[in-house]
Amino acid sequence: MRQSRLISNCLLNRGNAIGSILVTKLYIPPLQPKAVLRPQLTKHLNQCKQRKLTLVSASAGYGKTTLISEWVANCKQPVAWLSLDQEHKDAGSFLTYFIAALQTIFKDIGHSLLATLQSPQHPSTDFILTNLLNELTDIPEAFILVLDDYHVIESESVDNILTFFLENMPPQMHLVIATREDPHLPLALLRGRGQLTELRAADLRFSHSEAGEFLNRMLGFELSADKISLLSTRTEGWITGLQLAAISLREHENSSAFIESFTGSHYFVLDYLIEEVLKQQSESIQSFLLYTSILDRMCGSLCDTVLGSPTGTGQKTLEYLEHTNLFIIPLDSERCWYRYHHLFSELLKQRLLQKSAPLAGGLGVAELHIAASEWYEKNDLHIEAFHHATLANDIDRSLRLVQGNGMPLYFRGAVGSVLNWLRTLPGSVMDKKPLLWITYASVSLGSGEISGVEQKLKAAEAALETAVQNKMTRDMTGQIASMRAIVGVTQYNPEIIKTQSLRALKYLSSENLSSRTTSKWTLGQAHLLLKEYSAAKEAYNEAISIGKTSGNVLFSLLARADLGSLQEWDNQLHSAAETYLQILTLVGDQPLPVLCDVHLGLARIFYQWNDMDSALQYADSSIELARLFENTIDRFITCEIFRSHLKLVAGNRDEAASQLAGIARSIQQNNYVHRIPELAAQQVVTLITQGRLEAAAQVAEKHVLPIHAAQVFLARGDTSSALKKLEAFQAGTDTASWNQEQLKAMLLQAIAIFEQGEQDWAVRLMDKVLTMTEPEGFIRIFVDQGIPMCRLLSETAVRGIMPRYINRLITAFKAEKQENEEIQGLIDPLSQREIEVLELIAQGFSNHEIGEKLFLALDTVKGHNRRIFSKLEVKNRTMAIAKARSLTILKPE
Amino acid sequence: MSGKDDFETDPDQSMVYQIRLKGCLSSKWSKWFDGLTITQGDNDETLITGAVADQAALHGLLKQVRDLGIPLISVKPIK
Repeated sequence: MRQSRLISNCLLNRGNAIGSILVTKLYIPPLQPKAVLRPQLTKHLNQCKQRKLTLVSASAGYGKTTLISEWVANCKQPVAWLSLDQEHKDAGSFLTYFIAALQTIFKDIGHSLLATLQSPQHPSTDFILTNLLNELTDIPEAFILVLDDYHVIESESVDNILTFFLENMPPQMHLVIATREDPHLPLALLRGRGQLTELRAADLRFSHSEAGEFLNRMLGFELSADKISLLSTRTEGWITGLQLAAISLREHENSSAFIESFTGSHYFVLDYLIEEVLKQQSESIQSFLLYTSILDRMCGSLCDTVLGSPTGTGQKTLEYLEHTNLFIIPLDSERCWYRYHHLFSELLKQRLLQKSAPLAGGLGVAELHIAASEWYEKNDLHIEAFHHATLANDIDRSLRLVQGNGMPLYFRGAVGSVLNWLRTLPGSVMDKKPLLWITYASVSLGSGEISGVEQKLKAAEAALETAVQNKMTRDMTGQIASMRAIVGVTQYNPEIIKTQSLRALKYLSSENLSSRTTSKWTLGQAHLLLKEYSAAKEAYNEAISIGKTSGNVLFSLLARADLGSLQEWDNQLHSAAETYLQILTLVGDQPLPVLCDVHLGLARIFYQWNDMDSALQYADSSIELARLFENTIDRFITCEIFRSHLKLVAGNRDEAASQLAGIARSIQQNNYVHRIPELAAQQVVTLITQGRLEAAAQVAEKHVLPIHAAQVFLARGDTSSALKKLEAFQAGTDTASWNQEQLKAMLLQAIAIFEQGEQDWAVRLMDKVLTMTEPEGFIRIFVDQGIPMCRLLSETAVRGIMPRYINRLITAFKAEKQENEEIQGLIDPLSQREIEVLELIAQGFSNHEIGEKLFLALDTVKGHNRRIFSKLEVKNRTMAIAKARSLTILKPE
Repeated sequence: MSGKDDFETDPDQSMVYQIRLKGCLSSKWSKWFDGLTITQGDNDETLITGAVADQAALHGLLKQVRDLGIPLISVKPIK
């Protein structure tokens, strides 16, 4: 129970009070009390379980599931079970359940992978498989994973996953596949290597003696060898046939007559027997079986709804069917969910169809599906509700369920099902409902198939032209424009994005908050590309504020992330950090591609604040996130470059340099040309630190990096060349806004001027920069400029400019450059507490009074006084006040 | 294969197919097989005959046969 709760918690939107449907797919079918035991076969399976794969491949009704569940019940190994269905055709969904199944035996396996699979944008399949295999390799004991009903998958991507898995599976793992048709896996290869065990129809067929054993010994009939032989021949050892025959036999008083007429009939075994079995049931059980055959799984209340019976007898009937062995299989240990034996349910469905001109007062098949759909919807199982709506061919209902409430179904793990449904709809139906085309386009867009989007939007537009214009058609026109804007974003085309976003906002209904959020975000992107930064901020802020009520989580997150990076670029470190941290709070544990930028942004901000531990932590997590997502793969270069800078600052020059060399290789291998300038810039910084100034100069020149070139000149003592470079840089930039590059250029300029002896000018420049950086708490931008900057700061402080801020900066310098005597010799900055004490001294309070005010012991106050006097190089309180005022640590009188 | 001589082999075109199964299925199964005709052949065989929209539809039909577990003898296009 604990474990199942664990899993359902991981799978967002899939758990509910009725008991998670997920768990029913992972439940090992229990051995039926009167099941057919096959000791020879289970012994064979046991002997072969050190091989990689066991394949049980035979038609319906050969007892594949029963055999495997009998075997695993006694194999004394951990066993995970996954009953596959249509839903698992999609690779992401298959992997989700695959991992969830493994978690039933090893609860710590793949937790972070499962979380990544739940986010709307999956990481690459290779990444997930490699990591999963790594985790499985560490498991010490042998274990088995069973994939039942593999024939329903019919998906090349899932076949590929399993092929990869079989090639790389750790030896302690054994895979079992039960299927009605041979899977597209490299079976010949596995057979050749002796890694495959096969059980096929011929192996599963009952021999005459097994049939006798089953009928006489297990079920207690007393049939002669002749009769056994007749039955066995008629059913051709087909297990389901024998079981159905046994049920019929039980009710027949005259077994000979039954056997005679059965074996004399030419009708298909099951067709004959199902008729027999149904005949023997009461009318109410017959209707129950027929009506509920449309359900893939049943629980009492669902059956009641489908049957339209308010009496609530569903649960009792299910228990009765289980008790009488009527091909019903419990799907959980609480006896909440059941399903029919697949073959039995096919036969029932055929009978239902045959009668679908409903019995008097009976129900048509479509109505049954609608009832099921309504039940599932009421119980918040929207994917199942959608499934039954499509089976009822109720397009309006299906479409409504796909649309969801703000969060479309295809963002909740049902992309495959929704696409399959849309693909089956004839164009003529779609043309009558433009919303179908729009949804089709939206699903394609959401699943990354950008190229087919425009064609669907055109079809939607054409369909809209013939429709009666009203509020809804206007909104659809808006949605079309909104999607075109998103396509524009993927093409970095600001004109298209802007035009279409504005058109979308004009047409979208005021209630369509979800699409409005998206369009505000795309508008922001257009402004960003056009360098209209304040307009971009405004659009993002609007997207965020609409997004709060729209439920459009994804785009309001994107808007927040983009707003954060704009704030960061604008040097608003506090606001940016706040925006980024809000995103982390909103997202929780879900990994999303956008988080990579958020973590990297936080790493840069904490770095700037000189909080190295936090910076390192965020840098590491940004790299992890970048590697998760294929489509953001080159983003990891930016993260790695920053990470190497942190190494460099921590004093590991050589390690930083070799990391950079590795990054350079991966840029070259993958042809990420647009990442080269970032790399070059960091190479210059690293080379300067290594003292390799010639090489640094070359890199800076080659990649036209004026600020970095100036840094190299300064390191060489060539201040006039440095100034030339900086002036050229500043001439080419917009001085209305102050990004970090510009701040850095000013600082380098100040250093150059200072070194040339123009102290007043340099201090004036510093005053200007400090005024901008102080409120945002910048530290590293100063410390990274090295000892000349420290000298300049000290001079600036002596002139009484922002002494407290400069104190903090010099403290940071001292902590970092402990081996440097010049820096250590500078006046020690006063601590915050020392400044407080000094302020009270200046107000004329005695040591005793100061102690009382600050809740300090008298000795502690005296200690502070001694340190203040020594730092200010004075002998008494009066001199200290005068010196502090001259340094403007205290306000002048 | 002599298919080319007998009929057009456009895979996307609707064509009449005949599926032979081992065992008798009554004509009541016609609805289950999407209205195709069900007749009895020789030797306890069943013939399912009718127009199938395209290859995808044919494969869907074969899957229905598979899911019943009824043995398949042959599938052939007829004029």
